[in-house]
Amino acid sequence: MPEFPSLTQDEFRRLCEFLYRRTGMIFTEAKRYYVERRVVDRMLSTHAPSFEDYYARLRADMHGEIEQFVNAFTVNETYFYREEHQLSCLTSDLLAARLAVKRRGDPIRIWSVPCSTGEEPYSIAIWLLENWRHVDEYDIEIVGSDIDTAAVALARAGFYGKRALMRLPPRVVERYFASDGDASWRILDELRESVRFTAVNVLDRAATLSHGQFDVIFCRNVLIYFDDIARRTAAENLFESLLPGGFICLGHTESMSRISALFEVARFADAIVYQRPLEVTARG
Amino acid sequence: MADDATKRVLVIDDATLVRLYYRSALERAGFEVAEAFNGVEALEHLLGAHFDLLVVDVNMPQMDGLSFLRTLRARDLPWSSIPALVTSTESAPQRIAAANAAGANFYVVKPLRAEALVQYASLFCGIRHG
Repeated sequence: MPEFPSLTQDEFRRLCEFLYRRTGMIFTEAKRYYVERRVVDRMLSTHAPSFEDYYARLRADMHGEIEQFVNAFTVNETYFYREEHQLSCLTSDLLAARLAVKRRGDPIRIWSVPCSTGEEPYSIAIWLLENWRHVDEYDIEIVGSDIDTAAVALARAGFYGKRALMRLPPRVVERYFASDGDASWRILDELRESVRFTAVNVLDRAATLSHGQFDVIFCRNVLIYFDDIARRTAAENLFESLLPGGFICLGHTESMSRISALFEVARFADAIVYQRPLEVTARG
Repeated sequence: MADDATKRVLVIDDATLVRLYYRSALERAGFEVAEAFNGVEALEHLLGAHFDLLVVDVNMPQMDGLSFLRTLRARDLPWSSIPALVTSTESAPQRIAAANAAGANFYVVKPLRAEALVQYASLFCGIRHG
């Protein structure tokens, strides 16, 4: 396939609809280049002679093509300690608020969704080890989840390049990573074991709720890919995944207020986050 | 890297992050550290290597900290009397008494700050801090 076949308007529309139904991600003509690049990659990988042929394989989920297709559309560009101010808010405010309703030894559950290739959930673990004096006092559980199964597999493996580590102080890299040669570092086994990884689509209510309820959820830069309906579904699922009084952190360009009225805005020194209100007692 | 003067600590805790937290603090202070997930694994470690101090959590699966200490102290082996620092989230006096009866040398209520852990470890291992 030497040439870059451009999709007809109808093909493009069908593909985008398929993607939307599967992931909630919205792509318009403005993103045509982005979509076509990925479709061509998948057509080459599956040796599909035409778009029609590829689309038929996709719809039939031949050799798990849906998963491969979805994986091709996720963005996995991230790094450790991204949006450090939120990590700072986590230890100085969010967990402090959660401890008020906990006893020593109780679980503290934190969810990074989507977690991409693991930088965020591992950053949370490292940040807690470095900055939170209650690490040994509570039963901390960190879960990382993503719709992209290939990203989840990479997260579990825990190998990172120099770029992913650029924001980490050298002493932190030295403490929690082992050089693997070839400008690659592997995160320590204990850290890998301290984060549990799963594949999940936040639009899938049952799958989302099967993870239980969390004290804090980091859900950064995924709602921006959704349309209004999908955003609301995701927000409702995430709301139910929070313990009453639990917090959700979004990306710095995102606002929950425009999506759902379920949450209360909580303004702290380092970040604005959203909170599931404490349960209101039944009215008489 | 370790020479004869290097003191060895066995950290016994089922929480991976806690083991990493304690190990990291102790290694920075020059200790050599091994880890065990519960009492059973700790006993296995003790069969194969010498340790100067045990840092023991209480609530762990399969064999908890106090059962481990009772088992260890009941044996007539050279390493049965290794000092044990018990760390726990429980602060009730009867819990502390139970730990002491099981063979704890010292009992600290979590959270245990990194600096405090190093101080206790140094004390039990007879290291002077300059």
